[in-house]
Amino acid sequence: MKNVDMKMHVKGQSVFIDDIKAPIGLLNAALFTSPVAKGRIKNIDISAAQKSEGVAMVITHKDIPGKNQIGHMIADQPLLAFDEIEYIGQPIAIVVADTRKNAKKACQLIKVDIEKLEPVFEPREAYQKGLIHAQKRVLVNGNIEEAFKKSKYIASGRIDSGGQEHFYFETQRALAIPKEADTIKVCASCQSPGAFQHHIAEVLDIPMHKVELEIRRLGGGFGGKESTAVWVVAAALAAKLLNRPVKLVISRNEDIATTGKRHPYSYDYKIGLDENGKILAFEVFLYQQAGGCADISPAVLGRSFLHTSGSYCIPNVKITAVSCKTNIPPNNAFRGFGVPQGTFIIESALFHASEIMGKNIIELKKINLLKDGDFLPYGMQLKKTNAVRCWETLDEKVNIKKRIEAVEEFNKNNQTKKRGISVIPVCFGISFAQSTLNQASALVNIYIDGSVSVSTGAVEMGQGVNTKILSVAANTLGIQKEKVRVDTTNTSRIPNASPTSASTGADLNGMATKFACEELLTRLKKLIAKKTNFFDLDKIRIKDGIVYLCGAKLDYTWEELILDAYNERTDLSCHSFYATPAIYYDRVKERGRPFAYYSYGTSLTEVEVDILRGVYEIVSIDVVHDVGKSLSPEIDKGQIEGAVIQSIGWTTIEQLRYAPDGKMLSSANSYKIPDIKFVPKNFNVMLLENSENPYAVCNSKAIGEPPFIHGLGAYFAILDVLRKIRKDKPLPSLPLTPEKVFMYIYE
Amino acid sequence: MKTITFTVNGQKYTREVEEHKTLLRFLREDISLTGTKEGCGAGECGACTVLLNSKPVNACLVLAVEIDGKEVITIEGIAQDGKLSPLQEAFERHHAIQCGFCTPGMIISAHSLLQRNPNPKREDIQEAIEGNFCRCTGYLQIIEAIEDAAEQLKPKKSKKR
Repeated sequence: MKNVDMKMHVKGQSVFIDDIKAPIGLLNAALFTSPVAKGRIKNIDISAAQKSEGVAMVITHKDIPGKNQIGHMIADQPLLAFDEIEYIGQPIAIVVADTRKNAKKACQLIKVDIEKLEPVFEPREAYQKGLIHAQKRVLVNGNIEEAFKKSKYIASGRIDSGGQEHFYFETQRALAIPKEADTIKVCASCQSPGAFQHHIAEVLDIPMHKVELEIRRLGGGFGGKESTAVWVVAAALAAKLLNRPVKLVISRNEDIATTGKRHPYSYDYKIGLDENGKILAFEVFLYQQAGGCADISPAVLGRSFLHTSGSYCIPNVKITAVSCKTNIPPNNAFRGFGVPQGTFIIESALFHASEIMGKNIIELKKINLLKDGDFLPYGMQLKKTNAVRCWETLDEKVNIKKRIEAVEEFNKNNQTKKRGISVIPVCFGISFAQSTLNQASALVNIYIDGSVSVSTGAVEMGQGVNTKILSVAANTLGIQKEKVRVDTTNTSRIPNASPTSASTGADLNGMATKFACEELLTRLKKLIAKKTNFFDLDKIRIKDGIVYLCGAKLDYTWEELILDAYNERTDLSCHSFYATPAIYYDRVKERGRPFAYYSYGTSLTEVEVDILRGVYEIVSIDVVHDVGKSLSPEIDKGQIEGAVIQSIGWTTIEQLRYAPDGKMLSSANSYKIPDIKFVPKNFNVMLLENSENPYAVCNSKAIGEPPFIHGLGAYFAILDVLRKIRKDKPLPSLPLTPEKVFMYIYE
Repeated sequence: MKTITFTVNGQKYTREVEEHKTLLRFLREDISLTGTKEGCGAGECGACTVLLNSKPVNACLVLAVEIDGKEVITIEGIAQDGKLSPLQEAFERHHAIQCGFCTPGMIISAHSLLQRNPNPKREDIQEAIEGNFCRCTGYLQIIEAIEDAAEQLKPKKSKKR
């Protein structure tokens, strides 16, 4: 089933925040932000801005009725700075005016006196100075010292991976409308209905039941709208103070300059293998570049931490991880949530080890793949492991050995163009690592005309979650999909919703929807039983909107049934709840079962590098990915293709640049995301067949993030070429831009 | 302020407009056609692509006063009498859309390509869509949709749609 919004999308009729018809009296807001990376505010002078054309109010921290705090995990992030400044782009004032242009003009008239302090931009330096968010995490399993003593081959070194701008097409924005009795409605482009509603209530000093947060759809999110609530809360605050509707929409370049990104990491690694290439020991230190506030960084770090063994069985590990406080905008969630970085380091270490051992990296990977019964470093034993199945399926499809030989042959016959190849296995834990968040609820209403409305806490951002939920509802009730509509995500209908992230949107909300529909179906079957004097409920079925008894079709439609149910005073509305069972994690012991299940995949990437110029082309990507029993093959394929290309952007061309004072230099004109010419000529995606997953709704598997890992293949395929040219320097950092490739070869 | 006369999607308008207002803001704010989106406001992403006298342009880089005496087609003008064009149908059929924010500009560029070149090769499609970024899809389904639409539009079928 395809995305239900597409008919509107192709006509330009879908409504995003800035397309909502302007309410009467609408004002526009803009943010005045810090021009300094680290300092202390001495004075804020808003007098000139207040007198500027069209200005209704200039809001500073003094005007906030409630808490001046929007920290997602730790209370270290004021909505409006009043004392310490931690990054360029930190909000100091909100200017509200008749037009966005006048609001921005007035921002330029604000004078702020900041005492400059010494900023820190390097994560390792921050760690040395004791500047970290939350606590250092250490996980030890087995006996690392003994294992290294037994290792025949040991590789160690340092490597780094870079950040990534989300570049969701719809920038951060919200529209806030004050209502009667101190209530407020906020329409927002955000992924966390529950958490953002809570922040609004706290800042405005009103109870949560007076805040209605509504989300129709997002023009992309990718995690960037999950934790940082600045823009949504700022609009709500302005609307509350002025008692007028207020819209806040930030420009692309403001978004790039002031919002969080994918975390850059620096890593120290040491890996030990036995004489056959089996991994015996792995020791890694993760330095996460977190930014000026904790935001959601400790949670992202936690996921990197739990994924540093990648798709491999490693009996002895020591993992240390720190979230380093640096003076850039707080980095946040981005598709993969730390897993791409965790996987990158084990893949890099193993690549390095293969060079020392002199064994082909692809063979080395295969012999270390996870199997049923293996333990992950945090003590979870694997079941229904599809790592080897995905690998073998890919091998059957592309013949890995032949592909390696073909590349060797090509390289023999070509002087200036060289090809490289990489195989990347994927193992991605599904569930929020913070167990509390693994809950969801759904509200299903059947109206007397037979139409059905479903509300959940899931946020539609293009990933097709609403379509999957719709499909679960229609299939469970036994009615045509046209009868079902998925309503907006609204905190008045669905309270305390977890963010739509960690790829769990369909898993959690789909299951809650299924439960609600099953309950409604039982109520309806009881009514049918009463009417037909046939009491074996298991043999009563509804299919395509018609009632069946023991497989025999009755002259009784869904619409007639619903009308009868209403007349018989049956409750046609059901709220249901789902919490992922049997997951737990002990943060002190660093042991537990944090994930309900794992998503697997394997891909082969081939690149061609022009070794005179450093430019390259992705020749082909072949992906096999395990989606369980897909709720929608079209959607899942689209998610895989999109994730792979977005990830190759991260591993190759997307590079963020900062000035020495911490100012973001990248902008819409200089930050390149993959365009259509970037797509390889051969790009094949295959869903693993006959995969079942008892741990998620209708045997499906989560899809949003896991395929992002395949994009690492581009980095390692280019690396394959580079290391054949020279090995006299350390592994280059990610991304491998053409400039970096050139410099690696010739510097 | 300057008075301009122009047509949008076949409808004739006369409007007063500030000289510095972009076509993008003019369409969205003054003509209430919000199908055209602002993705970057810097002429990079193509989300605001419209046809100006049949040529695709970034509406964020054109001033509203420049459309005086000219004809503009926006995404709202592609479906005829509420019926989707073969290209729009193909986008739906091939699932060439995720969040939908880049879609209007993407369809305008592809529509313009098919008008110029009813038989595009893959390279032609890449050339025509190069200025339209999509952050969600891997572009494959978009390419497939445009190829399929071109096939549908071939004269041998000559169905007037």
